[in-house]
Amino acid sequence: MPKKTKLVHQKKQIVCAFLLLLSCFVHAQENYSINGTVSDAANGETLFGASVFLKGTTTGVITNEYGFYSLTAAKGNYTLIISYVGFEEKSIDIVLDKNQKLNFEIKEFATQLDEVVLTADEKEHVNIRQPEMSVNKLNIKTVKQMPVVLGEVDIIKSLQMLPGVTNNGEGSSGFNVRGGAVDQNLVLLDEAIIYNTSHLLGFFSVFNADAIKDIKLHKGGIPAKFGGRVSSVLDVRQKDGNNKRFAAAGGIGLISSRLALEGPMFNKNGSFLVAGRSSYVNLFLAASNNKNRVGFYDLNLKSNYKLSENNKLYLSGYFGRDKFKLGSSFETTYGNASGNLRWNHIFNERLFSNLSAIYSRYDYDIGILIEEFDWISSIDNYNLKYDFKYYASDKFKLDFGASGIYYHFNPGQIKPTSASSSVNAMKLDQKKAYETGLYVTAEHKITDKLTAQYGLRHSYFNRLGGQPMQDYINNQPVTYNNTLGIYERGEASGETNYEKGKSIANYGNFEPRAALAYELKNESSVKLGYSRSAQYIHLLSNTTSVTPLDVWTPSGKYIKPQLSDQFAVGYFKNFNEEDYSLEVETYYKTTDNRIDYIDGSDLIGNNTIETEILNGESRAYGLEVLFRKNTGKFTGWISYTLSKSEQRTKDENAGGPGISSGNWYSTPYDRLHDLSATGSFQLNKKWSFSANFALQSGRPVTYPNGQYEYEGLSIASYSDRNSDRLPLYHRLDLSATYKPNKKPNRRWKGEWVFGIYNAYNRKNAASISFGQNTDTGVNEATRTAIFGMVPSATYNFKF
Amino acid sequence: MKLYIKITVLLIIASFISCEDVIDVDLQTEEPRLTVEASIDWEKGTTGNNQTIKLSTSSEYFDKDRNNAVTNATVIVTNTDTNEEFIFSNQNDGNYTINNFVPIINNTYSLEIIYNGETYEATEKLIPVVDVKDVRQSTEKGFDDEALEVNVVFDDPEDEDNFYLFKYKEEGDLLYELEDVDDEFVNGNEVSWWYEKDDEDEDEENFIAGDRVFIEMYGISEGYFNYIRTLIEQSEGVGLFGSIPVALKGNCINVTNKDNYAHGFFRLTQVVKTNYIFE
Repeated sequence: MPKKTKLVHQKKQIVCAFLLLLSCFVHAQENYSINGTVSDAANGETLFGASVFLKGTTTGVITNEYGFYSLTAAKGNYTLIISYVGFEEKSIDIVLDKNQKLNFEIKEFATQLDEVVLTADEKEHVNIRQPEMSVNKLNIKTVKQMPVVLGEVDIIKSLQMLPGVTNNGEGSSGFNVRGGAVDQNLVLLDEAIIYNTSHLLGFFSVFNADAIKDIKLHKGGIPAKFGGRVSSVLDVRQKDGNNKRFAAAGGIGLISSRLALEGPMFNKNGSFLVAGRSSYVNLFLAASNNKNRVGFYDLNLKSNYKLSENNKLYLSGYFGRDKFKLGSSFETTYGNASGNLRWNHIFNERLFSNLSAIYSRYDYDIGILIEEFDWISSIDNYNLKYDFKYYASDKFKLDFGASGIYYHFNPGQIKPTSASSSVNAMKLDQKKAYETGLYVTAEHKITDKLTAQYGLRHSYFNRLGGQPMQDYINNQPVTYNNTLGIYERGEASGETNYEKGKSIANYGNFEPRAALAYELKNESSVKLGYSRSAQYIHLLSNTTSVTPLDVWTPSGKYIKPQLSDQFAVGYFKNFNEEDYSLEVETYYKTTDNRIDYIDGSDLIGNNTIETEILNGESRAYGLEVLFRKNTGKFTGWISYTLSKSEQRTKDENAGGPGISSGNWYSTPYDRLHDLSATGSFQLNKKWSFSANFALQSGRPVTYPNGQYEYEGLSIASYSDRNSDRLPLYHRLDLSATYKPNKKPNRRWKGEWVFGIYNAYNRKNAASISFGQNTDTGVNEATRTAIFGMVPSATYNFKF
Repeated sequence: MKLYIKITVLLIIASFISCEDVIDVDLQTEEPRLTVEASIDWEKGTTGNNQTIKLSTSSEYFDKDRNNAVTNATVIVTNTDTNEEFIFSNQNDGNYTINNFVPIINNTYSLEIIYNGETYEATEKLIPVVDVKDVRQSTEKGFDDEALEVNVVFDDPEDEDNFYLFKYKEEGDLLYELEDVDDEFVNGNEVSWWYEKDDEDEDEENFIAGDRVFIEMYGISEGYFNYIRTLIEQSEGVGLFGSIPVALKGNCINVTNKDNYAHGFFRLTQVVKTNYIFE
């Protein structure tokens, strides 16, 4: 059977299977549905992940991202229980004799405002029944309690305290999940793709905690509604804004200050949130007569409007910038911008939908003032998504939808800023592409003990014409020079001009996803997961750390999409009435078409990137343990990860033995051991203390294995790629929070947060570089450590 | 220059909050390899008859004693266009010299070294260089707009890709500073290439009036450019934002035992040497 018809055939079979399943569960009985939203009584924020269930039955549902729920049961009288972490449980008696709409508002525990002691009812715990695994959900409150450098709350740094999440240490952008690269994370802020998650090279994250509602990290078993990255999805959602009253929150820190304003609009049919943050190091620099400048700012916007009971509009935006200036020679700015318009529509009590139109952009501009030119680069994307959730029955729910993304890449452009500049104007070929996705996922309660989630995503990528592409002799952009024993750029044999509207290359992939949860005795369960995912755009980076000046490139004629398969098995248990919980997971992940770079590769301002890269593969496997204490005066967790992440680059097209003689070598983000502990202790109503401890194996690096004299200099010869390691990394952070709390009923609530980052002043090597001392000529190893001990004080307020 | 700019920009950012110190590190050690410094440099305005090729072996990275001269090799260079053979004589100190070499622009030469019973070979073309039009000083260029820098002014030829190697050294300094230049962004223009002593090191000073700086400008091949670019980048220390360092291979092939390749390069260049005294 030809391949294409075979695919079509497969597709038909899958569709049939779903229809069959559907018809099984939507049988004609006297069933009725209730639906509505669950929100916070204090500010009207909808709650994601609140549980709504019928007492004494196994019928229950979790609210979706927009706080919506729908559940179906046989006609009768029930007690409906609504609960959410940190909120008072609400129960209400209902008579289910017709379809009905019920919106609930639940109250935060009163004590929560003054204390963070978690009682048995409001604690976090592992959801052992849902098949969803390899997921970490972080409550913004938990994040705000953790000690951080310079008192700036940082979501990305908090994530690194979880198992399977690391980064390249201080001074590097992004984060790594389960031995995956930084560019393999899909980072979404209100569904808009964020291409760089860091301010000031990773010292701060782009997420302003005052504007964030919740954070969910999928490390594996990624639901079929997400696609485009092979390692993880970080789903960050902004607050909607208080629709009850005007409120403000802010903070004044050593480096930056922030302010968030929110309140009702349109007669309480809507609300808004505006949050801004800015650093003010520049003021100090200016005051001390220093001509250098460094700083960042960002702005979050959100607004929503309820058109009718079944229609709601959301508008959200983000704009952030980093700025640096070195005297009058260099200046650089970079940042993300995004905007998103969403329309929630409830078709009927069982069918919820959301349509989103999203734009996002990342760009940088380096001004070389002395040579009078600007170097600019950007990536833009327009994204349209339509997602549906169908609550077919108590036992069966269906998610399906479609999405399309159009990309525009400007890999580099030189603009002389004056006529006298000795630099010529230049623009690299502009690259365009679109990516589409279609998915369907079922959540299926097979028996009371066994729940499954299974689905399929189909992704398609089309690299569009409108640019010339180099052709190479033997179709080899890179060749192996057998005599010299090195990889060389291939020789061009001509150029093919792809016209606008023509396709340079296109790829399609089916991505099956499946997960299974089986509930055991004693509050425990076993879960299994498998997922396949495809990634069509890649971040080009041959440096030891990812930087904000790296450039994204699409798949095409020479660069193939990355394809990844991940298997995971986990054991989950709650102890002692959910006071403690344990999560153990093990995973094995392979990725095809992972690129690496030839020796001496040059990625900047290069129109023919394909001549710099080799095609390879990667694999990662590991064991993760997370033990939490969820209640009491002392709460916190210990996480430990044992893992391996390796790469092998034997490009068949280029020939030759490959990088490191074709053997597996460590990726820069391989960590054999990674131990993190975080805890907070509530001493009394005024004082609470918290601490973080992190200990992990050093990062794989390449060190010299000898020296030779050349040009009167000592030149280092280097060993195999990533065959050495930086010294062990460890660090302790401490913080104390003081709430004056003089008049508990006053609207103004302030708190002081005192912190010490890297409390025992460990000089963790961000890098070790080797070179000759210019005075003595002797070779030296120089360690660069980014932060020593950093004390901080921040005042936070809200009213 | 491109990478240099990128790294510089990033380092500026990081320098606000980082600290550096010298530490001890345990390293792997490879077997000593032959190092070939076969730089046939023809200074403009001279005959280019006197040439030296240096042979040594590599050593452990932290060895302070780097005196590993190779004194038992034979060195022959052949002009493959004219078939003229130049036999270099062993000075028994690692230097192999000749006083009747004939440099011809754009001719191809081959090198043959026999050492420890193994034969190493390399082939390369002699690359010309344009004249230096002017050498002048300024302050407004460079990273520090108050510090003096020297400018080397030359016309880049338009109809070809040109590659240059610059060497700078202030009188009294221990080490040369090397810079690689590619005309990609400045093709066909009058180029004013500046050099400013960076004052990253506390004890290193900027240029002041009366300082003399020695300048050498070489015309180099694309192959050598690729080699020296990586060499320079790696010799400056691969820090936080540098490329992952690699085992650098030159153009000297061991034809007897391929795996036992040599460090170094066989290059043939034309060079302009000049110097400048700051006012």
